[in-house]
Amino acid sequence: MESRFSIKGRKELARPAVYVGLAVIVALLPLFFGSPYIHHMLILTFIYIIAAVSFRTIVISGQFPLAHAAFMGIGAYMAAMAAKWLGMSPWITIPLSALVTACIGMLIGYPFSRLRTLYYAMGSLFFGIGVIQIIYAGGSWTGGYSGLTGIPALLPATTSKIPYFYFFLGLALVSIIALYRIEFSRIGTNLKAIDQSHVVASSVGINEGGYRILAVGVGCFFVGLAGAGYAHYNMVLSCSSFNFMATLWLVMYVLIGGVNSFAGPIVGTIILIIVPEFFRDLKMFSPFVTAVILGIVVYLMPQGLVGLPQLIRSKLTEHRKVKKVNHAS
Amino acid sequence: MLLEINGLTKYFGGLAAVRDFDMHLDDGELLGLIGPNGAGKTTIFNLITSIYKPTKGKIIFDGNDITSKKPHEIARLGIGRTFQLNPLFSDFTVLQNVSTSFHLHPKSSLPDIYFNTAKYRRNEAYILEQSQEILKMVGLDKVENELAKNLPHGYQKMLGIARALAVKPRLLILDEPIAGMNPSEIDFTLDAIKKMQQQKITILLVEHNMKILDLCERVVVIDFGQKIAEGLPKDVRENKEVIRAYFGGERVT
Repeated sequence: MESRFSIKGRKELARPAVYVGLAVIVALLPLFFGSPYIHHMLILTFIYIIAAVSFRTIVISGQFPLAHAAFMGIGAYMAAMAAKWLGMSPWITIPLSALVTACIGMLIGYPFSRLRTLYYAMGSLFFGIGVIQIIYAGGSWTGGYSGLTGIPALLPATTSKIPYFYFFLGLALVSIIALYRIEFSRIGTNLKAIDQSHVVASSVGINEGGYRILAVGVGCFFVGLAGAGYAHYNMVLSCSSFNFMATLWLVMYVLIGGVNSFAGPIVGTIILIIVPEFFRDLKMFSPFVTAVILGIVVYLMPQGLVGLPQLIRSKLTEHRKVKKVNHAS
Repeated sequence: MLLEINGLTKYFGGLAAVRDFDMHLDDGELLGLIGPNGAGKTTIFNLITSIYKPTKGKIIFDGNDITSKKPHEIARLGIGRTFQLNPLFSDFTVLQNVSTSFHLHPKSSLPDIYFNTAKYRRNEAYILEQSQEILKMVGLDKVENELAKNLPHGYQKMLGIARALAVKPRLLILDEPIAGMNPSEIDFTLDAIKKMQQQKITILLVEHNMKILDLCERVVVIDFGQKIAEGLPKDVRENKEVIRAYFGGERVT
């Protein structure tokens, strides 16, 4: 699983080349698609990729938080309010509110680090609902039910969305690389060890509580970053973007993409944001369709969508072998 | 004296699992803690390693009071342990199980790990080498790339011991190391324990299997959470109290 246990071969050098190639292709997309609407969908995809990948960072430590979208909301509202009411520059509010989100996450994570499984999920779920309630109750400060408008924009006003496209592409890449490095270092190994057996992990000296809080802090930092970026891009915020349903969508991105793989949430987010765009008339059915997709994916590809190439490869070799056998007889 | 337990008491509800238990362990000693099922052996282990907090009493390790420490701090002080039901990092390979357990020796700081500094890479290379050495010692070097969950039971038990050794323990606590093993695996494990003994690792064993008694330098027998006998293995075998409590009146053969 981890490359540090094997000698670097051609295969391992080929991988980074593939990643760089993919990033370049994505960066060239605006050349082929001129419509601002497509740019908008791609920007949203980048933002939600950061949210989904950071969600998974918490999940690999054996915690299943159901407040991740609420933390995105904390980041978004924090940045929006700091910029709107205190006149701070978006370039400061974005990193600052990511940090504050991480701190809030760790403060909440401390008492929660004693909860497990369903208890943890329920505790975080109600915390998330509480956050939304507080934002509703914030009156003119947070915009309450009618939403917060007039948030300063990050980039100078133009009709084109291309500058934002590259900003969020960069933000997503930086976040992905940062989280990838955590997962494939001893930190990630320790988180996975805690997930597999927290009793054994502490018996070899891994500070379970500390690492769980660290995972929550890291996850909340990046989702706060995504939220804050979203606020200054969209310039309008509504609570419903960060409610329980939004968290459930993040869970779906991760599950359908494949929870056991780093690429899983990225693939899941892309598929679940882009594909429904082709079926916009059926939007009311999308939760139902998503549930069906989840069922099909889990049934056919226990690894999630990222397991698809492997599934095809094994089916093909099987097919070839069967052919060979038929030929021989 | 490496480990000293004074007046240890643990109540689960109204039931005393361990009551006024005293015990000590000298440096380099191999001590057996035996007793019938449900006598409180594992409870004592979990109290030493802070999985449970005692109702009363003190546990002193190498001069430090460890009664209210957390499990990972206990490991940090140099107490390694295995578990009776032998949980593993089951989705890791055998080698990863051990190298992950080298979390403390040497310990890399979070920034070192994250920025992949020369120090971290050096530590990891050292850990890899040490892990392979330990695996060789317990005879698992040939299966180091297998997933832990795919190993046969006896190998999994040995992996538990290998993992505990990665903590570089001054005191190694083995909870029923030979339970569920076949005869050849038992011989192998006993050999491994003898090897550790030669390396002057202090070992505390829990077993209710009398086979392991011959290895021990001293044996403490408990029943219903209380010490009923202590002494050389051969003396304990003769002890009337032990025979009555443990073997239902018959003499040990």
